Amino acid sequence: MNNDIPLSWFLYFSAASFAIGLTGVLLRRNAVAVLMAIEIMLNAANVNLVAFWRYGTPAAGSGPMPGVILALLVITVAAAEVAVGLGLILLCYRRWRAVDVDRYDTLSG
Amino acid sequence: MARFLFLAIAALGLLAALGTVLARDLVRAGLHLVAFFFCVACLFVVLEAEFLAAAQVLIYIGAVAILLMFGIMLTRNAAGGEADLSGGWRVPAILAGLAVFAALAFGINNTVSPAGAGPWARVVERPALEPADAAWKAERSRAIDDMPRVVGEQFMTRYALAFELAGLLLTAALVGAVALAREDEAADSVAEPEPGAEARPPVATSPRPSTTTAP
Repeated sequence: MNNDIPLSWFLYFSAASFAIGLTGVLLRRNAVAVLMAIEIMLNAANVNLVAFWRYGTPAAGSGPMPGVILALLVITVAAAEVAVGLGLILLCYRRWRAVDVDRYDTLSG
Repeated sequence: MARFLFLAIAALGLLAALGTVLARDLVRAGLHLVAFFFCVACLFVVLEAEFLAAAQVLIYIGAVAILLMFGIMLTRNAAGGEADLSGGWRVPAILAGLAVFAALAFGINNTVSPAGAGPWARVVERPALEPADAAWKAERSRAIDDMPRVVGEQFMTRYALAFELAGLLLTAALVGAVALAREDEAADSVAEPEPGAEARPPVATSPRPSTTTAP
């Protein structure tokens, strides 16, 4: 009888929060809220990466912490994405005076 | 005890994620997002990656959430009724979320893992590191006990190229964000096309007339 947490619990948490984030991306109209939902999805992927790193046995020559390094790079990319995304949202807000993603329909014929 | 802790953290995290997605008030959604980030940091601690938890708190809660708050404050909708959920797409969006969760649960419970390892659901405990009989066990226990140092070493040796690329990406993204969000005459000049750009004669096979008119 071991009391350790099964790997699948982390995977279920991650899958559930990814599904919630995807629903948020599809459900929200506010562009900032869509960015927030994307952040939820990226965090779910990070939990998965770290859980697989801790529960798996590594392949030969893969270094001590590939999952952690990949999670750190994902955090970096997420920070860059939020900066650029908010810049774009501010630009669109200045032009249309709205942050609803379904108002940005200038390109749709 | 560990299981109880995990269940509490995971329940709080999922509630916070739901609150982020469903809250009408955007500031409240942002605060729920902070709670979700903190729960993910707690999960990193449970997974023995404390440095990553610290980085999560510093970068996500300290930088990303605050940046999102500024974004919320700066972009109030002029016409009220802000932060509406999109009405007609509610059922398809929820269906898509449920379908993705079902697909992921299928992947967790069935054999999709590599090289005959069986389904992931059969992994019930993390590999013990205590008798350090293999090289990777000693490596990993050093990585867990001394994570910041090992992360630095790895970034300087094995992942040097990725480290440089991440630095380049951050520099380009932040400079680009400042250039995008700068408030001056550059925002007006990109709206109108260049005067000499449409000098080509119109092609006869074009199906529809050009509707873009220079202001």
